[in-house]
Amino acid sequence: MKFLILRSEVCLAGLALAAVVGPLFAHPTPVAGSQTENSQTQVTFNRDVAPIIFHSCSACHRPGEAAPFSLLTYSDVKKHARQIADVTKSRAMPPWLPEPQQLRFADEQRLSDAEIDRIAKWVEQGAVEGDPKDLPPAPKFVEGWRLGKPDLILTARKPFTLAPSGTDTYWNFVFPVPIEGARWVKAIEIRPGDKRYVHHANILVDRAEESRKRETEPGAGFGGMEIRIESQVFDPDSHLLFWKPGTIPATEPDGMALRLDKGTDLILNTHLQPSGKPEMIQPSIGLYFTDQPATKFPMLLPLENDAKLDIPPGEKNFVVSDDFTLPIDVNLMAIYPHAHYLGKDIHAFATLPDGTKKTLIHIPQWNLNWQAVYRYAEPVLLPKGTTVSMRYTYDNSDDNPMNPNHPPVRVVGGNRSTDEMCHLWLQVLPVNFDAAQGDPRMELQEALARHNVQKNPADFEAHYNLAAMLQGKNRLGESIGEYEAALRLRPNDATANNALGAALLADGQPRPATAILQMAIEERPEYVDAHYNFGIALTQMGDMQHAAEQFEVVLKLRPNDASAEANLGAALAEMGKYSEAESHFKRALQIDPNQPDAKANLEAVRKAMSAH
Amino acid sequence: MGWKSSFRVLTVVYIALLSVAACGQNSVDLDGHAVNPFGASPAKVVVLVFVRRDCPVSGRYAPIIQQISQRFADSANFFLVYPDKSETPDAIRKSVSDYGYQLPVLRDPEHRLIKLSHVQITPEVAVFDRSRKLVYDGRIDDWYIDPSRSRPAPTTHELEDAIHAAQSGIALARNEIRGVGCYIADVE
Repeated sequence: MKFLILRSEVCLAGLALAAVVGPLFAHPTPVAGSQTENSQTQVTFNRDVAPIIFHSCSACHRPGEAAPFSLLTYSDVKKHARQIADVTKSRAMPPWLPEPQQLRFADEQRLSDAEIDRIAKWVEQGAVEGDPKDLPPAPKFVEGWRLGKPDLILTARKPFTLAPSGTDTYWNFVFPVPIEGARWVKAIEIRPGDKRYVHHANILVDRAEESRKRETEPGAGFGGMEIRIESQVFDPDSHLLFWKPGTIPATEPDGMALRLDKGTDLILNTHLQPSGKPEMIQPSIGLYFTDQPATKFPMLLPLENDAKLDIPPGEKNFVVSDDFTLPIDVNLMAIYPHAHYLGKDIHAFATLPDGTKKTLIHIPQWNLNWQAVYRYAEPVLLPKGTTVSMRYTYDNSDDNPMNPNHPPVRVVGGNRSTDEMCHLWLQVLPVNFDAAQGDPRMELQEALARHNVQKNPADFEAHYNLAAMLQGKNRLGESIGEYEAALRLRPNDATANNALGAALLADGQPRPATAILQMAIEERPEYVDAHYNFGIALTQMGDMQHAAEQFEVVLKLRPNDASAEANLGAALAEMGKYSEAESHFKRALQIDPNQPDAKANLEAVRKAMSAH
Repeated sequence: MGWKSSFRVLTVVYIALLSVAACGQNSVDLDGHAVNPFGASPAKVVVLVFVRRDCPVSGRYAPIIQQISQRFADSANFFLVYPDKSETPDAIRKSVSDYGYQLPVLRDPEHRLIKLSHVQITPEVAVFDRSRKLVYDGRIDDWYIDPSRSRPAPTTHELEDAIHAAQSGIALARNEIRGVGCYIADVE
């Protein structure tokens, strides 16, 4: 009797850059029509300035919000009148980096020239209050959770103490999500703790429990400006979950809910600025669920060229580019440019198949402190064949006041804040596709992976991601070739060796797989997936004794792995150890009552036992 | 020629002393007692540090101000000066405690110290030498570029340079560099 109804899928890990999300900007009410102004007009607060302040400043400049002082009354505003005239004139406030362009963004926070002039004139004329009858009603704001009480509130288990002085700090909080099965999230509200000290925050979805391993103890969090998360299956990042001062959470468009599973962690990556005194930062995240599963699947399309970042000291105009041609039609929903302190001019544009060029975003004076996700007012259709381009210019001279090095030094690409980055994330939604042909995101991801391999043949991750993509499409021969290319660059990489072993197994080559999987285990002795796959390889070669040993290792490292229990039972049953096998099948079913192999094998082993 | 030059200097000192005498009666500590910051320790330089409780740039400078004041404790007397007369002593006391300041605190409701010091922004400093002549007024360093951008670290150190200059009598290349932060003229 054959008991080998082994789980056929194998464990692989795909490297994917974690993403960021759903920025949720203020929905302003229209400003009162501007007055006809001439130099003789007396500008007053109540009539001319209050509408601008209430509309563009008060959402952040009020108690409990991010801004350092309130701007809600004449007295508040008068106390900062000259400062307001200065920062509006320089367009430092309200913080809005992109230049005006044809493709409009939702919730633009840009003052008109007329509004800026009106404030300046008001200050010049002595900051007069004016007739109380002219004062518009004070703006109304929702206190507490903006979207009402969340269905689930996650609070950082331990606060982070921000030192009173020093450079900016980047801290990551890990939030395990206590859910028992898949849930669909229609909105996420980030409450970053004391908003005055949190410059921005991103949520990254960690589906592989990778980040929690970086904590010294559960809940402790960990430092770092950029983090990478491996994902185990084809599940590309889809949402830009981003908070900056003034952000108002928005519900995702219909059908675009975010899936969370049992075991998913949300990582809140925060940028904190010392205030001059110690501050305790303890963020919370509110989740709003929906019963409606997603029907539309956006994807984050990352353009980047960090490998080309090698900026000599003193260089004022170092240009890095990336150009990617879309293999399918997409709607561009949002855009998120990212560089560090040397970034100067950030430009992204699309060249449509008919040659038309569209600026997607242009930031002539980049400022990391005010980075943001920008959502388009209307989705932007980019047809198949459109080339999306990024051109980032860096200034590594002393002329750049944000330069972390004085005097300047050579700077290369990397994850530390003193390194540079050259990234552009586009949130795109595939459109006009034939669902029968499969998930269109796969085509996009494959094109991107091929583009990255071509752009940088020495990029290990590019080869690895292409291999994982091909493996996902069951194009095993090509996949094995790409894994081998990745391993020529990093021969000892445990993740790649495990994935190659898995691909060889799927391709019916257990013997070469065993050698490769042993290398993965040698490099990382507690690599559960590699032990599991090694067990499968040994099983396929008929070595049940050693296969059983591997599944026992898996269960030692991951006690509640139902598949490992089922496979251990199967190996024992193959060896005629029916009674032992039965207990493992039972345990597999205790862990997961729907474990299919255990169910069938338990019946089989009971029949076999009764036959003896 | 030398005689004329000396005379001019003496005149300046004389005027400064007169001003100081006038303002000493108008600046008060948090208990409302009149304080003349120029009265004590004639052998020491005097540094007035102008801050606003509602000015975030002032707040971020607190550890730097405290460190510099400790470094020069033997040669300079530091005073924090709050120019906003609408601020209550209790609110100032709490802020001083939150930021860990160990410095004497003055309120300047009549803006006498401000006029004497020529300062316009918070945070700015005024440094007076032992003869109580104003040798420098303005920013502490170049950390801030504008209210929304600061360098990773300052590349100039005007306050420290000014204290050295006040001690040594060597003139500064620039004795006035405006700071970045909040306008003092915006508060009563």
